[in-house]
Formats: sequence, structure tokens, C-alpha cells
Amino acid sequence: MMIPIKYNVRSLLVRKATTLATAFGIGLVVWVLSTSLMLSAGVKKTMSTAGREDVAIVLRKGSDAEMGSSVEDPQVGLVKAMPGVKKEGTTPLGSAEVVVVAAMAKIGADGVTNVTIRGMTPDGLKLRPKVKITAGRAPSPGADEVLVGSRIRGRIEGLDLDQSFEIKKNRKVKVVGIFEDDGSASESEVWSDLDVLRSSFGREGGVSSVRVELESAAAFDGFKTALESDKRLGLAAMRESEFFEKQSEGLSIFIGALGGLIAFFFSVGAMIGAAITMYSSVANRQREIGTLRALGFSRFSILVCFVAESTLLAGVGGLLGVAASMGMGTLKFSMLNYASWSEMVFSFEATPSILLTGLIFAVAMGFFGGLLPALRAARVSPLAAMRG
Amino acid sequence: MTLTGLAARNILRNKTRSFLTILGVSIAVIAFVLLRTIVGAWTVAADHAQKDRIVTRHKVTFIMQLPKKYIDDVRNHPDVAAATYANWFGGRDPKNETEFFASLAIDPESYFEVIKEVSVPADQKAAFLEDRTGAIVGDVIAQKLGWKIGDKVTLESGIYANDLDKPWTFTIRGIYTATAKTADRSSFLFHWSTLNETLPETRRDEIGWIISRVKDANKTAGVGVAVDQMFDGRDVQTLSQDEHSFNASFLAGFSAVLKALDVVSLVILVIMMLVLGNTIAMGVRERTSEYGTLRAIGFMPGHIVMFILGEAVLLSALGGALGLAIGYPFVEQGLGRWLEENMGSFFPYFRVSPGTAIAAMALSVGLGVVAAAIPAHGASKLKVTEALRRVA
Repeated sequence: MMIPIKYNVRSLLVRKATTLATAFGIGLVVWVLSTSLMLSAGVKKTMSTAGREDVAIVLRKGSDAEMGSSVEDPQVGLVKAMPGVKKEGTTPLGSAEVVVVAAMAKIGADGVTNVTIRGMTPDGLKLRPKVKITAGRAPSPGADEVLVGSRIRGRIEGLDLDQSFEIKKNRKVKVVGIFEDDGSASESEVWSDLDVLRSSFGREGGVSSVRVELESAAAFDGFKTALESDKRLGLAAMRESEFFEKQSEGLSIFIGALGGLIAFFFSVGAMIGAAITMYSSVANRQREIGTLRALGFSRFSILVCFVAESTLLAGVGGLLGVAASMGMGTLKFSMLNYASWSEMVFSFEATPSILLTGLIFAVAMGFFGGLLPALRAARVSPLAAMRG
Repeated sequence: MTLTGLAARNILRNKTRSFLTILGVSIAVIAFVLLRTIVGAWTVAADHAQKDRIVTRHKVTFIMQLPKKYIDDVRNHPDVAAATYANWFGGRDPKNETEFFASLAIDPESYFEVIKEVSVPADQKAAFLEDRTGAIVGDVIAQKLGWKIGDKVTLESGIYANDLDKPWTFTIRGIYTATAKTADRSSFLFHWSTLNETLPETRRDEIGWIISRVKDANKTAGVGVAVDQMFDGRDVQTLSQDEHSFNASFLAGFSAVLKALDVVSLVILVIMMLVLGNTIAMGVRERTSEYGTLRAIGFMPGHIVMFILGEAVLLSALGGALGLAIGYPFVEQGLGRWLEENMGSFFPYFRVSPGTAIAAMALSVGLGVVAAAIPAHGASKLKVTEALRRVA
């Protein structure tokens, strides 16, 4: 026969302060753990949602980011004419884009940070069907007007609706609209007209990358082979989805490693906390345990009882921690992405699996932390215990 | 037996609990030291920046270059002692694709005059100056990739195109060491003119940035402003920052990470306090009747407080010492070395600073006192009769 769980609940309630301190400690651990998992998920989501399987991005061979790459103007036509590129009537669907980073003052931090500015023609929007302008309007072609991504808006000086910034000495561009792109990395970018950007940055005669829409995702291999077999071009193609994943690799590993390191230390610490509480609990309740044994409860049911109590304690802490981490969902986290060398804004993604992981983690800490003290409790001899 | 002796003996009464508490505190101390060292390693470059040096770059974006003639204007400025320039080459060794190291095209004559923390044996330097396809590499990267003087190394660049029949091949002429602990010891340096010659007409005679050393370190900021003013009316405007601000603006990109690490360090301290407080509170609860006895035989409430605080301080000091004893060699001999060798470009100097070690120790003891304050206060306020009557 098992000892009713009510006994454990009452035991925890009797030692209110200790219970609270231990549960709070475990809650903190779970909070830090789930928050770092949420950030890691946020990075993954941001970097991978934008990528399409049926869009190819063409960069100069050897470049792994758009910024360092250059494609000459005459090559753009050749890329678009490759087999496998989808056509609208007779015009191939493609967008030649220039990507630069500009040093701009970050609000609320010392110094400047790098912001990605992308120059494109209206064709660029055709390849990004998910883009929605949520405030203001689209810039007029050729005008000194830009769109700003919803995540970077308000974080950098001059980057909000109806504000303006200097793209070059004495050349101001105005923010006329804010766009959203399904939570993708481009929401941390500024989009301008291709020629406005090229003339301001002295990039006439070439672009950074060419994106083309393919007839289907399966057409990629044919396109890639055709493009790369022309050695004079010196260009390389990648699926857009694959490209974005590669861009986020370093950042994901970095955040994952840091989170893992922290989680490791924290969990060991919390387990020790739970063990201390349970050991004392067992020591204080020698007489109780002795009585329970005398009443006929087996050693095994004592063991289960104390492990259950520890697990319950940690579970309460886990719930607290998970609830607190859900509150982080409204915050944004911005940092430099190594791959593009520019500022990116991420959100904390609270997925059910992360919340569940946090909870399971807490329960596991309670289980292992309570195991040794419970073993000690189970070994209590009823006679010795009752004699005091 | 003395009073402090009694406090110390109390620790031995519940060995398991004391052991676990010391272990818990020491793990918190290790984590704290590790986190603070990460933050420190990140900001070390900014903190140890040379005060008399200015970096001048394109005003809007680091991916665009400056006209080479700007270097002459900077050198002619009366407050500038010496100036040099460099281009980021973005090179990679195709044989070690994943190995990241900085590769710079430098002006060999002036570079070492300005970047004083880089030191090369005189004969190697002379050999480098003579060989236009020569290169000088940092000792860390040389050891890692097995490069020796005289070796030929071919690099690929993600920024500069090279013709298939003319690869970038350099002969290693020297290996430099650093006299400042924050200097990157993994750079690959070669002649700027060699790069310039191979570029198409439109991309020639451009330099990535200018580094100048000013004559009077107190005037650094003023010289920076003067340099920017000089170029303000020209085609390309510049942004000059002293090395500290230059490094700090790089850190601005990671300010959220640094802030997060600060929060986590704080959370560690709170958890440590909870573990300690829990232990002390339990001990006090178990011994309430003993405190009653002590009071009955004449000890004052102050003595009781001393017992409890003494025990807490001893526990936390032992935990702190154990944590440092494990954490310090772990970082110094293991992790730090590994990071410096493998990620030297990001963490050129990853060591526990004395400040961090002292702070960890002081905080663990201080938090021990704080954690014991409430139980100690409660125990001292107890009436003797009540304490004697109470059963744990």
C-alpha cells in the first residue's frame, strides 16, 4: 500500500519557508533554461522562415554572405536566362539586389551598430510574397524613400515611420513605410530603391546577389549545374532556404553552447538545493517515518513517498519558472549576427515543446535530488526511529 | 572551547548537509567565475585599447574603402606621429576551410611602427620587407596550421576575386608574437602593394582603414575630430574613433548578450543565497532548544547571532574556496587555453582576472551573511522558555 500524496502536500506546507526557497530556486533554473531555449528557437525561426526552396540565390563563388559578393551588371541577364528560371510571360522572374551595411547609432546603447540596407527593384517584392506593408506606403521607384523592417524600427536613430537618416553626406532618405515578412531575418533590414543605394554607395555597375524564382523546387539542380559550369562567370548558386540556414549556423551554435553551459551548472546547483531540503526533511521526520513503517508501510513505499515529495516540490518550481519564461515572449533580443556582420532582432519563441522540456527538466531535478535522501528514509529502522 | 570553535564544530554535525551546501556554493562560484570571465574576455579589447591610437574608416560603412591618398593627408597632420593602413582580405586556407583567422593587406614599412604590440625578429622582418609575396603570421595560427618559415601558403578570398591561373600564394617570412595580451596572435599579414597590383583598374588604390598614432595621448579625441573635418568636404567622409570607442562600438552589437550574461550572473548569486539560507534555516530550526539552553546558562542574544553567522560564513567561505580551487585551474589551464588557441580572434585573452576571483570570494561570504541574517535574528529574539520547549 502506498502512502497518500496528501501526506506529502501537507509536509511541504508545514515547512513553508524552506519549500518556497527551494521551489523558487528551481523556478529560477527552469526560467533561465527555457528562456535560452526560447531564444535559440527564435533565432532558428527568424533565419529559416524566409528561405524558399524554389528560389535560388546567386553569389560570387567563394562568398558566403551577400555583403562580400559582387555580380557584374552584364552577368545579371545571363543568370536570369539560365534554364529552370520561371517566367512571367517572357520576362524571367529575378531580382538583382545590392546589400550594404551602414553604421548607425543604436538607441539605448553606446556607439554605433551595423544595419543592413538592401537595394532592390520592385521585382524584389515579387519574390517575397509574404511581405506586408503594415504602416505607411511603398516607396516610389527612384525616390529617396525607404521601407524599414518591423523589428529594427525604433531601435536605431532615424529608423521609424516619417523619420529620416543620412545615407550619404547631404543625402537624406525618408522612411515612408514599415514592413513585415512573416518574422524572417529581413525584418531587421532597411529596403531602398536599387539605384538610390548604388549611387549613394558608389556601387554602380554591379550588384551583390541575384535571386531567381525557379519553375519548381526540383529545377534547382539543373539551374545550379548550368550556372556553375560556366567558369567565366565565377558564380555559385544556393537554395534560398539553405542559404539562410547557413547564415544562422554560427549564431545558433553560439547561443546553444552558452545556454547549455548555463543549464548544466544551474541544474547541478538546483539538484543540490533539492537534495539539501529533502535530506533535512528526512532527518526531521525520523519519528514519523518510523511510525509509518510500524503501521505497515513497506520500505519501498517510503522511498516512493519521499521521491514523490521531492518531485512535487520541483514540479511546483518548474511551473513557476515556465510561467515566468512565458512572460519573456513579449521581449525582443537584438545582437550582431557574425555571418552578415549586422544587427538582428530576435524574439523569444515559446513553443509547447520548450515549455514541456522545462517542466520535465524540473521534475527530473526533483527526482534525482530526492533519490538519495529517500533511500536514507527507506533504510530507517522503525524501532530505532520511534525510540528517538 | 571557544565560541568560534563551537560554530565550526556545528558544521560537522550534519556532514551530508554541510558537504552538499559547500558543493552547491562552489558550483555557483565556478559558474559565476566562468560567466564573468566570458564577459571580461569580451570587453578586454576595449578596456586595454591603446589610448594614443585612432582608427579612421569610411563614415557610413566598413565595407567601403577610402582613397589611398588619404593616408598622406593623415601623415601630414601635425599631431600625428605615424600612420599606417590596411585592407581586410577575408582570406581562408582552402586546406583548412573552417579555420577563421584575420588576413590583412598591410603597408609593411609603417605597420610595425604604429602597431607596436606586434613584434617580429629583425631578420625575419627584413626578409618580409624584401619579398613582395612574403607574409608574416601570428604564432598561434602558425602553430595550429603547422606553418613554418619558408612555407608557401595559398589563400582564397571571399572579397577579392582571383583568376584561376593566378592564385594568391605567399611565402611565410616571419612569425610574430604579441607583447600585449589583447593582441590577436592569429593574423596573416602580407604586402598591400601585392594585392593592389592584381586588382582591376576601378578597385585599385583603395585602403580599408587608417590607424594613426598621435603625438600626445591627451589630444587623441581632438585629432580624430580634426581628421574627419579634413575629409568632410571630399568625396568620401570618414569616421575616426580612438581605439577604445572603436572596440566599444563593436561591442554595442553584443550589448544584449552582455546584459543577458549579467542577469544570469545575478541569478546564480540568488540561487547560491537560497541554498545557503535554506541550510542555515534548517540548522537553526533543529537546534532551537540548544539555543534555549545556551541562553539559559547565560549566553546573550548577540552570542547566538554570532554562532549562526559564524557557521554561515565558514560554510560559504569553504564553498567559495573550493569553487575557486576548481574553477581557476579549469579556466587557466583548460578552457581558457583552448579558447585562445581555437577562437583567438574572438577571445585573444581568456583568463580569470584577480578582480573576478576576489569578487566571487567576497560575494559568497557576503551572501552567506545575508542568508543567515533572518534565521539568526529570529533565533536571537526567541524567549528562553519557548526555545527550550520547542521540538524540532
